[in-house]
Amino acid sequence: MKRAKAVVALLMASAMLLGMTGCGSSDGNAVNTGTSAGDSAQADGSDVSGTASSSDLNIMLETPVESLDPQLATDGTSFEVIADYTDGLMQMDADGQAVEAVAERYEVSEDGLTYTFHIREDAVWSNGTPVTAADFVFAWQRAVDPAVASEYAYMLSDIGQIKNAAEIIAGEKDKSELGVTALDDSTLQVELNVPVSYFLSLMYFPTFYPVNEAFFNSCADTFATSPETTLSNGAFLLDAYEPAATTFHLTKNEDYYNADNVKLAGLNYQVIQDSQQALMSYQTGALDTTLVNGEQVDQVKDDPEFKTIGAGYLWYVSPNIAAVPELANLNVRLAFTMAINREAITGDVLKDGSLPTYTAVPMQFAAGPDGSDYSADQSRYSDVCAYDAAKAAEYWNAGLAELGIAELTLDMVVDADDAPQKVAQVLKEQWETTLPGLTVNLVVEPKKQRVEDMQNGNFQLGLTRWGPDYADPMTYLGMWITDNSNNYGLWSNAEYDAIIDECTTGDLCTDAKGRWARLYDAEKLVMDDAVIFPLYTQCNAEMLSSKVTGIEFHPVALNRVYKNAVKTE
Amino acid sequence: MPENRTKVFYFCAVFSIKMNEGDTSVAKYTLKRVITALFTLLAILLVLFILMQLMPGSPFNDEKLNEDQRAALYTKYGLDQPVTVQFIKYVGNMFRGDLGVSYNISKNTPISQLIQTRLPISISIGFYAVLIGAVLGLLLGLIAALKHNTIWDSLATVISVIGVSVPSYVFALALSYNFGFKLGWFPMLFSPNDIFKSSVLPSISLSMFTMASIARFTRSEMLEVLGSDYMLLAESKGISGFALIFRHALRNALIPIITVLAPLIVDLMTGSLVVEKIFAIPGVGSLLVNAIQSNDYNVVISLSFIYSAMYIIIMLVVDILYGIIDPRIRLAGKGGD
Amino acid sequence: MSEKNAAAAVNKTASYTPVDADFQWKDNAKELGIDENFASQGFWKDVFVRYFKKASAVIGLVLIVVITIFAIIGPQMNEFSYSTQYLEQKNFAPRIAVLERFGIFDGSENLKTTTGSMKINYYEDKGFPDLYYWFGSDNFGRDIWTRTWSGARVSLIIAVAAALIDMIIGMSYGLISGFFGGKTDMVMQRILEIANGIPRLVIVTLLLLVLEPGMLTIIFALMLTEWVGMSRIARAEMLKLKDQEFVLASRTLGAGSFFIIFKEVLPNIIGPIITQVMFSIPTAIFTEAFLSFVGLGIPVPQCSLGSLISEGFNSFTTHPYQIIPPIVVMALLMLSFNLAADGLREALDPKFKEM
Repeated sequence: MKRAKAVVALLMASAMLLGMTGCGSSDGNAVNTGTSAGDSAQADGSDVSGTASSSDLNIMLETPVESLDPQLATDGTSFEVIADYTDGLMQMDADGQAVEAVAERYEVSEDGLTYTFHIREDAVWSNGTPVTAADFVFAWQRAVDPAVASEYAYMLSDIGQIKNAAEIIAGEKDKSELGVTALDDSTLQVELNVPVSYFLSLMYFPTFYPVNEAFFNSCADTFATSPETTLSNGAFLLDAYEPAATTFHLTKNEDYYNADNVKLAGLNYQVIQDSQQALMSYQTGALDTTLVNGEQVDQVKDDPEFKTIGAGYLWYVSPNIAAVPELANLNVRLAFTMAINREAITGDVLKDGSLPTYTAVPMQFAAGPDGSDYSADQSRYSDVCAYDAAKAAEYWNAGLAELGIAELTLDMVVDADDAPQKVAQVLKEQWETTLPGLTVNLVVEPKKQRVEDMQNGNFQLGLTRWGPDYADPMTYLGMWITDNSNNYGLWSNAEYDAIIDECTTGDLCTDAKGRWARLYDAEKLVMDDAVIFPLYTQCNAEMLSSKVTGIEFHPVALNRVYKNAVKTE
Repeated sequence: MPENRTKVFYFCAVFSIKMNEGDTSVAKYTLKRVITALFTLLAILLVLFILMQLMPGSPFNDEKLNEDQRAALYTKYGLDQPVTVQFIKYVGNMFRGDLGVSYNISKNTPISQLIQTRLPISISIGFYAVLIGAVLGLLLGLIAALKHNTIWDSLATVISVIGVSVPSYVFALALSYNFGFKLGWFPMLFSPNDIFKSSVLPSISLSMFTMASIARFTRSEMLEVLGSDYMLLAESKGISGFALIFRHALRNALIPIITVLAPLIVDLMTGSLVVEKIFAIPGVGSLLVNAIQSNDYNVVISLSFIYSAMYIIIMLVVDILYGIIDPRIRLAGKGGD
Repeated sequence: MSEKNAAAAVNKTASYTPVDADFQWKDNAKELGIDENFASQGFWKDVFVRYFKKASAVIGLVLIVVITIFAIIGPQMNEFSYSTQYLEQKNFAPRIAVLERFGIFDGSENLKTTTGSMKINYYEDKGFPDLYYWFGSDNFGRDIWTRTWSGARVSLIIAVAAALIDMIIGMSYGLISGFFGGKTDMVMQRILEIANGIPRLVIVTLLLLVLEPGMLTIIFALMLTEWVGMSRIARAEMLKLKDQEFVLASRTLGAGSFFIIFKEVLPNIIGPIITQVMFSIPTAIFTEAFLSFVGLGIPVPQCSLGSLISEGFNSFTTHPYQIIPPIVVMALLMLSFNLAADGLREALDPKFKEM
């Protein structure tokens, strides 16, 4: 009996093993059919990359696309890809200036309140319908529609100052009352509340890109989630994509009005999150451009293909002035900012070409009326923001004496990403060595939570960054007005608020030079009070194949533009 | 120990009577387990919902977002409603196959669309890893146990120790550097047009831990079984070699091994963040981590739920397997009925 | 005893007249309480002797002790601290005073660049001829020797604490669930399924976000998630053993459930339990390392072996020497725990005496 049972058990065990292998093969098949049948996009992708023409540009991305819906997208990666296949009214030239794209010409009224764009005849969507003024009206109304809840709606209201935008977002008016009208198929008229000096440069921002209403409605809820549900009017066509894909492909759009000048056959995107794998792929020739991590710079710094490219972000530390009594003391804040060795952070730790920054507005993104960089002079506030350990200690002792304390322990919230953690460790070390009696504890959090903590005032020191939305210093200086949600330290200064008001909606709107001078006055107030401790203007270290020329890099809105890129064999 | 052997002899009769009691219907038991499993899943779903409420932060937390905008987004996705309402709606939608949309990882994308291509990739890579790990682990463990206290045993121990102490991402990068970059045998990055070949390196790097765990457990269980009285009995009856090891020893060692393997299967098949990150695999592991860090509630809940479902199914299978491998403990519930 | 012997005994005593002293209580409560199978033979002494007979077990124990000692004194053995950064002394390759004369550990490394590989020696290039980083320095110019040992300290504390706690909780849970079976088992297993059915990462991340980050939180998080594996092993073992004769015998002799669980069954399954503890130590170290990888591990600049490995990982292709020390210490730690566990298991399990 025992033997019989044993035999049965053995049979069952072997049956189980067979079952497992059987399971294995059927499982494998299921996977294959799953990918081939369930996902035509990916199958297409494989075909395309399988037969990828050698003049495809192979591009590395760090993060996947979040959304291809121009009104919903908020991140640089998504913007870059949307701009590959969509043209707005204006586009950026190589220097970042706004030049005509879908609009062949435009007129601005004398009071600066009305813009009229004339749309070119030969602009067509990839399904053959022409691009009309109505497409822009539809898209812009979507952007402010509370039901769509676009995160970048403020580009139309606070920044673009388009008539009624703010009221529509607040739900007080219907979206049809937005100050944008299609006078006819090819004429678009925009009304503003106040003159906006940088309005044209907003037109290349993807939130302002057109969407064809009929096509949008035919896609229902799946708009912009696959090649079939996207429509192109730009240099390339999306032909293999799925949401959050790690590889996707665009091919040249032959119907593009400027197709003759597009030299690339297509764009082949590859998301790689590990920088070492990315560099190895680059070395094998699978990528034409890739980001390089700070640690790898030693490996590539002698390579002629190594480049550093401005990314526009300003990294800074925000002290919580309102909630932490010790940080309300100006001497303590000055001690903090003077104790930071910014050169060491960018030169020894980041090594990606980031620029030490001593101003509240970062370098190389906003050019003034005379064409020079707003923050070119980094020594402008050197009496309150520089690296000077002795002076820092002086301020520190004075601050401690005023507060009547000998020791201070503060927490600093930091994003759980690689670069911020590295920078924070160096900051901690620099502060603790230069300022005796100070202890800084690092609180590492995922970015979303860090932002929420800072917006709720639930922090002491915070390491944060801000990227410019448009090429004007106001994208930074607008942050520190009283009650702005990004004025984390809740600093408030009536004089400052008045200057900013004057420059956005007041008399200075039309006086570019006068406005520029007043902006410096505002920045000085921020720096004198050490409202933030600026650290550096971020740059990205990249490898760019010598075969490739003509990629345009910008710190604002669209980081990389490939329209004019050429890849030689 | 002589005392133990006396006990074996003395209670032999009781034992054989007990064995016959085990003939409760497997089908009935399985049905009962499936029904409880459904309730367990519902309970897990509820717990997940509560956990999401406890999660600090909000899915809409860009620096550039103001209060009104955030309120509008909450209304749009129904997050301003009470948890109970959200829960009932979610369960209702789920029965219709609608898992909701992603809030921020891939804005407004239906989650079913998001995972329909990713899950099969994770499952297939995980499956290969389990297969490699289990087969090699069993072999290694058997060799170690049979050649106990020899150089083979030590070698197997060293291999399995390396397997458990070196993280999979280090294996992954080392494999990729040597076999992908230097030798060019396998692709360094996952490519959808050559799933099999580009799954090789990720599967191997994932299988190391499984292999090591299984090897260690097989060894320790086999040693225990080999030292037991019934093996001595079987041996003295003249059974030897292959039959002795596979029919008698391994069968008895399998229960704890399956117990260890089961959760590993679920872990591997639901994707591994680190390996996905390194090989650029569009799997669900990195999706879950991103979702947790960006408070994308729907994605977290859906993926966790899939994980839970797989886990519970595998546990169910394991429980039934216990009975098949060892009739004595079939349907452990008999004591209570 | 046979009838005949008994009868003989009766006959023998017949001629004897009992005295009062014969009817005194014999104070033998102590002897009765001793389990003859084990204790009377000096069980723990046996274990001790058996353990030290096995060479590999001794090696394992010695290694654990050595690593523990280094974890305690290692960080104090040179002038560096685990957190002080010398940014101008970053990425220095290992250099050891005597060995450098033989051309190894002389502070030079081969840097593979995209334009070819080159040999560099930062000690010479940057003018620090008297500086010795035994394991090299990391990308903040911190001493890897000091960081490795303080990392080993943190990892040991976290892993051992988590493993012990989950052993106690998981073992009790599994044994009780397995022993009582039936409805109790059903309910307990469903609770366990709910607890374990939710991905570990979700629970751990949530905990780390809600609680103050730090070593205690990590131990707590690991404890909450790791006990399940242990309880499953314990339950499976219990299912295997609970119908065995000695349990029935013990029950027949009137032993209570908890006596059977912890006094009768537990000593018999100590082998698999110890093996599982040994495995939950690397699992704990790994989970912590994974948390470091997603940025939620031990707060910087503190370090653990796991966080050192994930830090070194970023320099894996550039400065491979940075990842080697933590991996080697981790591997040695695992090896020694395994060897010691093996020895202990065999020493604890009397069945192995016969082998």
